[in-house]
Amino acid sequence: MIARHDAERPLFFGADQGLFGIYHPPAVPATQAVLLCPPLGQDHIRSHRLYRQLATALAAAGVPALRFDFHGSGDSAGDSTDIRWNRCLADTTAAAAELRQLSGCEHIALFGARLGGSIALAAAANVKPDRIVAWDPVLNGPDYVARLDALQDSLRIDTRRFNQARTAEVAAGQWQGFTVDARLRQQLAELRLEPPAVQVRLIESALPVTTSADRQRFIATGATVTTLSSSTPWEELERLEMAIISHELVQSASGLLREPT
Amino acid sequence: MTEQAFRFGRAGHLVGIAGLPSVVSAQTGIILLNAGLVHRIGPFRLHVAIARRLSARGYPTLRFDLSTLGDSAASDESLPRAQQVRADVADAMDLLGKQAGCTRFVLIGLCSGAENAHLVACSDPRVAGAIFLDGFAYRTPGFLLRHYLPKLANPVRIWRFVHRRLRPSRQVAAPDFGVVAPPLGQVRGELAEMLQRGLKLCFVYSGGTSEYFNHRRQFRECYGAVANHPGTTLEYFKAADHTYILEGDRQQLVDTIERWLLLNLPQVTAGGSA
Repeated sequence: MIARHDAERPLFFGADQGLFGIYHPPAVPATQAVLLCPPLGQDHIRSHRLYRQLATALAAAGVPALRFDFHGSGDSAGDSTDIRWNRCLADTTAAAAELRQLSGCEHIALFGARLGGSIALAAAANVKPDRIVAWDPVLNGPDYVARLDALQDSLRIDTRRFNQARTAEVAAGQWQGFTVDARLRQQLAELRLEPPAVQVRLIESALPVTTSADRQRFIATGATVTTLSSSTPWEELERLEMAIISHELVQSASGLLREPT
Repeated sequence: MTEQAFRFGRAGHLVGIAGLPSVVSAQTGIILLNAGLVHRIGPFRLHVAIARRLSARGYPTLRFDLSTLGDSAASDESLPRAQQVRADVADAMDLLGKQAGCTRFVLIGLCSGAENAHLVACSDPRVAGAIFLDGFAYRTPGFLLRHYLPKLANPVRIWRFVHRRLRPSRQVAAPDFGVVAPPLGQVRGELAEMLQRGLKLCFVYSGGTSEYFNHRRQFRECYGAVANHPGTTLEYFKAADHTYILEGDRQQLVDTIERWLLLNLPQVTAGGSA
């Protein structure tokens, strides 16, 4: 079964029609669909193509998929300073409702990379998916905030990027190209995810950034872990503007998302 | 202003977002072209910021993905890349013409987007203006002097240069956007021809071009009479990087583009308010 690209449907949805998404319909009616929750910030741009590949692979295998952008990101309404944790959870709920309506499937699974995975895990209580597949999710907010702060500090003095190092002031309040509102920063700094009451499949890159204590909380409640053969350069300054590409991830995630429940 | 998502093009293969001001008809439309392989939102969402600012000022906008980039598919036509780009941008102009009544267009592109804007501006009579962000420029004797003289006068820099040559670099190669500049004479002639046809041209260089552009004066060294033409504007943001990763730099760029458009290609509308 081959999914035609021209069948992919770009659309705006949500209460104010402010959320952008692309729906990948299957060639035949399906019983389960997949909602792809994007990461935030530069991770979102870098993984755009990979998300499209995954959605295409799912649709080709007969599983409808919806990609979407959170409020304040991608093509959705709003500015990056408007992004809030709770709004992301609400957007996920709205996107799940849209997917259920578009596909006619009551049963859905969630996929997310990095903060997209974290949001999928946190939104489970409202969305009620059958399963969540999370790739390198951020499970420990304080660590994540500290790492992005350090990366931003390295970025501003990187003379391969700038002719002269920039001051801390002009780089303040931003993470790798995106202004971050103080409230979102605080919400992430307080983030400590607990395992949801649904089936969780963690996919980890080799050399994961997730600490073992965070993983163990999830594994202890039944989460399984699939480890990729290579690392993913999420936080490498030199590769900040290079696309995240992993055929292994697409194959692995596609398989896990299509497992019978 | 509202934004609408479209699948469009001669093969229904292109995906884009149109920003449509609340006017019945607007003469000038803005089309944003992909920067390298980044999808239509642009590096760090630059294209979204530009499009929304300009739409708020009454300009219909379209940010879209060229064939095989972002969310757009191939057209299955087996065209050479240049023809493919011309046909895709023509489809984009048709869409804005149909949706907002636009009859003339301004192309905005960064890096490979500037290359594509140049390509289309050479041949499509509907193009009234172009904003080239880190577009073509050529090393001149002045560039070489400014580039190497400070290094020669600084022993630390000489040491670093020798050190780099002696030790294998672990630095990751920068993304290659496949931009190959045509010969200077050709580009100079094509720009002169655009100006003769009445196009308005804005050239913006960032500090990220320091390997081939390092002073405002270099623009005249490269392009001669083109630089002095009243239809030409030059901006140089030496502190900024190639993709405007800092919010303040991005805002400065968006402000500059807005000012240039309002001055050089003011919107002519019919009905409603912008």
